[in-house]
Amino acid sequence: MENEQKVMTGEESLRIISEMINRTKVNIRQGSFHLLFWGWLIVFCSLSEYLLFRLTDMENPWIVWLLVIPGAFVSFIYGYVKGKKSPVHTYADMLYMWTWIGFFISAIVLFIIMSGKMETVAPYILMLAAIPTFISGFIIKFNPLIFGGISFWVFALVSYFAGPSIGPLAVPAAMLTGYLFPGYMLKRKDHNDQV
Amino acid sequence: MTRFKDLDPILHSQLRLAVISLLVSTVSAEFTYIQEQTGATAGNLSVQVTKLKEAGYIEVTKKFSNNYPQTLCKITSLGRQRFIEYVNALKDYIDKESI
Repeated sequence: MENEQKVMTGEESLRIISEMINRTKVNIRQGSFHLLFWGWLIVFCSLSEYLLFRLTDMENPWIVWLLVIPGAFVSFIYGYVKGKKSPVHTYADMLYMWTWIGFFISAIVLFIIMSGKMETVAPYILMLAAIPTFISGFIIKFNPLIFGGISFWVFALVSYFAGPSIGPLAVPAAMLTGYLFPGYMLKRKDHNDQV
Repeated sequence: MTRFKDLDPILHSQLRLAVISLLVSTVSAEFTYIQEQTGATAGNLSVQVTKLKEAGYIEVTKKFSNNYPQTLCKITSLGRQRFIEYVNALKDYIDKESI
């Protein structure tokens, strides 16, 4: 960037403004960790619950979902440390973060409301998860995440209507399309952007 | 080629405009981040940041993080207002130029 004495044209001023504003947009693309972490954790929990239900006499197979509690701590600590280290905080970062915190609080409220019938919670949680995923896709202008959010709504319907034999598999399937596929694409994009 | 002489002189400089444009879409940014994004030297950037601070367009906070000094810059409401006015004035000039 040159010294201040040079007189700028309108085109130069506009170029500087748009170039600088665009540079602050890429920051939240480095958030693939949360998508991959939650994607794999939920795939593990949902498949474990399904297999325990099918293959064992366990009374409460949904108990494997308690893993999301330490998972939430890991996610929170990772986000806090990364946030502290980040040299810049954009309004898009804040919007992204509060959207997911809002979802997290809604999920806790949903679990409390549905605590007596946890085996029926899947379609509701998928429907809720669609909202931050869909919005996040628009915030970071990343189509796979937008489609991931849409796929959550589709799998919420599948989970609700498909019946007990296929319905439980809607959650791991949704994780593939909603978190894991966009997460790996985002990670690859970050890597390519940095090279 | 259109030249500007009556635009806000604080903002009508390449580096200061770049700094304000970066800060306008951020809650806060570190000095080193601004330096990296603008490609300016630390000395030149420091001078321009001081000018923006003295004009009341940005706030500068110095603190320590992991024993390293950290300089955080944040746009003020005055700075945001002046940036909007600058962009509107720029738009007027470009509109007039295209007629």
